[in-house]
Amino acid sequence: MSETAVTIPVSVASARKPWRFTDSMIVPRVIVGIVILLIWEFAVRALAPAYVAKPTGVVLAIPKVLTDPVFLKATGETMASVAQGLGITLIFGTIIGVWMGRSLTFDRAIRHYINGFNAIPMIVVLPLFSLWFGYSGYTRFATIIFAAIFAIIMNVADGARSVPREYLEVSRSFRAGRLSVLLGIVLPASLPYILAGVRLAAGRALIGAVVAEFFLSIGGVGYYILYNSRSYHHNEAFVGVLLLAGFGVGFELLVNWSIRRFMPWYRRGDNS
Amino acid sequence: MHHALRRHAPFWLSIFAGLAIWEVAGRSTSAAFMVPFTTTLVRLWQLVVSGGFFTALLDSSELFLTGFVLAVAVGLPVGLLLARVRILRVGVEPYIMTLYATPMVALIPFILSMMGFGFAPKVLVVFLFAVFPVLYNTVEGARSIKPELIEVAKSFRSSEWALWREVMLPYTLPYTMTGVRQAIGRALVGMIAAEFFLSSTGLGQLIMIASQNFDTGGVFASILIIGLIGVGLMRLGLMLEQHFARWRQ
Repeated sequence: MSETAVTIPVSVASARKPWRFTDSMIVPRVIVGIVILLIWEFAVRALAPAYVAKPTGVVLAIPKVLTDPVFLKATGETMASVAQGLGITLIFGTIIGVWMGRSLTFDRAIRHYINGFNAIPMIVVLPLFSLWFGYSGYTRFATIIFAAIFAIIMNVADGARSVPREYLEVSRSFRAGRLSVLLGIVLPASLPYILAGVRLAAGRALIGAVVAEFFLSIGGVGYYILYNSRSYHHNEAFVGVLLLAGFGVGFELLVNWSIRRFMPWYRRGDNS
Repeated sequence: MHHALRRHAPFWLSIFAGLAIWEVAGRSTSAAFMVPFTTTLVRLWQLVVSGGFFTALLDSSELFLTGFVLAVAVGLPVGLLLARVRILRVGVEPYIMTLYATPMVALIPFILSMMGFGFAPKVLVVFLFAVFPVLYNTVEGARSIKPELIEVAKSFRSSEWALWREVMLPYTLPYTMTGVRQAIGRALVGMIAAEFFLSSTGLGQLIMIASQNFDTGGVFASILIIGLIGVGLMRLGLMLEQHFARWRQ
C-alpha cells in the first residue's frame, strides 16, 4: 500500500488526457483501417488479376461462405481438433510442468528435452507423424499436441518454481498435506503463468492444425483455404483466413481480459 | 572440479538416458516406424558425405537469413518510428496486434497462386512469419516508456537525437530483442513451411524426399539436425535478449 503514495502524484502529473477508449484512440484507428482497405482495394484493382482477394470481394463472399455447409463442417472439424488437443495439452502440460517446478531432480532430468522440443519448428515432425498416424485426423491431432504442449510445460514450470517461499513455509507450519499445498497454493499461484502458456499454445495449436491440413489434405479450415485458393476463389478462401485471425485475436483478448479480471494482483513486467 | 561434476552430471545422465531409450525403442519397433539413434547417426553421416546435406543447409540458410534480415530491417525502424509518433502508433497498433496473432501459414496458398515457385515468394513467407513479432514487441516497448521521462528530457531542452539515444532506444531495444528472439523461432517455422509448400528446397526438401522414399532414417536424421539448429538459434536469441536487457536488472 505504501506504493500508492508514490504513484498518485506521478500519475496526476502525467494525466494529460484520459487514457483508453476515448475519441483520440478510436479516430486514428478507424482512419488507418480505412486507408489500409482503400490501398488494398485499389492496388488489387490496378495491378493484380481479377481472382485476387480484395476487400469488396471478401465482404461480398462473407454471407455466401458463412452459410456454406462445407465451410461450416470444415470449421467445426478444425476447431474441435484444436479444442480437444488444447484440452489434453493443458491437463498433461500442467501436470508435467508443476512436477518440474516442484522437483529439482525431475526438472534436471527432462528440462533439456522440453527446451529442445520447444525449439524444434513443429512443422518438421509432420512427415514423421504422417508415417506414424497415416494421412488422417490423428496426425493433425498429434501435431496440435506437439505444437502446443511444450509452451505450456515451460510456462507452468516457471510458475510453479516462482511460488513465494513464505506461502510454502506457512503451509508447512500448519502441517498442510502435499495435495492441499498443490491445489491450494502452487496451482493458484502459477495460474497467470498457465494462462500465458495457454495463450502461446493456442496460437501454435492453430498453426499446427492449419499446417497439418495443408500437408495431409484432410478436411478443415486450412484445407478449405488451400482448395479455394488453388481453384482461384481467393475471396472465399480469405474468409477462412479472417476466421483464423479472429480466433487468434479473440483468444489473445480473452486471456488478457481474464488475467486482468480474475488476477488483478498479477502484473506482467513493469508496464502497469 | 567436484562442484562442476555435480552440476553437469544430471545433464549428461539425462542425455544418455534419452539416447538409450531412443536406441532401445528403435530396435524393438519396425524400421519403417522408427530407427534407433545409431542408425540415425549413420544415415546422417551418409547425407553429409554425399554432400546433399550441405547443399540443403546452404539453401535453407540463404532463405532464412534473407527473410529474417529483411524482417528486422523493416520491423525495427518502423517500430521505432511508431514509438515516437504517438498518433500513428495508436492508429496502427490494433492492426499490428491482429497480424501478430494471425497464423501466417494461412497466407501460403495465396502467395503460391499469386507468386508461384521462385525464391521471392519463399522469402516473403519467412518475412511475414518474422516481422510482426519484431514490430509488435517494439511498439509494446514504446508504450512502456513513461511519458514523464520524455517530459523531463524535453524540459532539459534535450535535442531530438539525444532523446532517441538516451530514452527511446534503451527503453525499446530490450523489447525489440524479445521480438527478435520470437522472430527467430517463427522464421524457422516459416522457412520449413515455405520449403514444404512452395518450391521444395533445402532442409525441408531433405525431409520430404526421405519420407516419400520411406527412408525413416533420413527423416530422423533431418529432424535431428533441424532440431539442433533450432536449439542453437534459440540460445542465440536468448543471449541477444539478455544482453540488451542487462541494464534493466
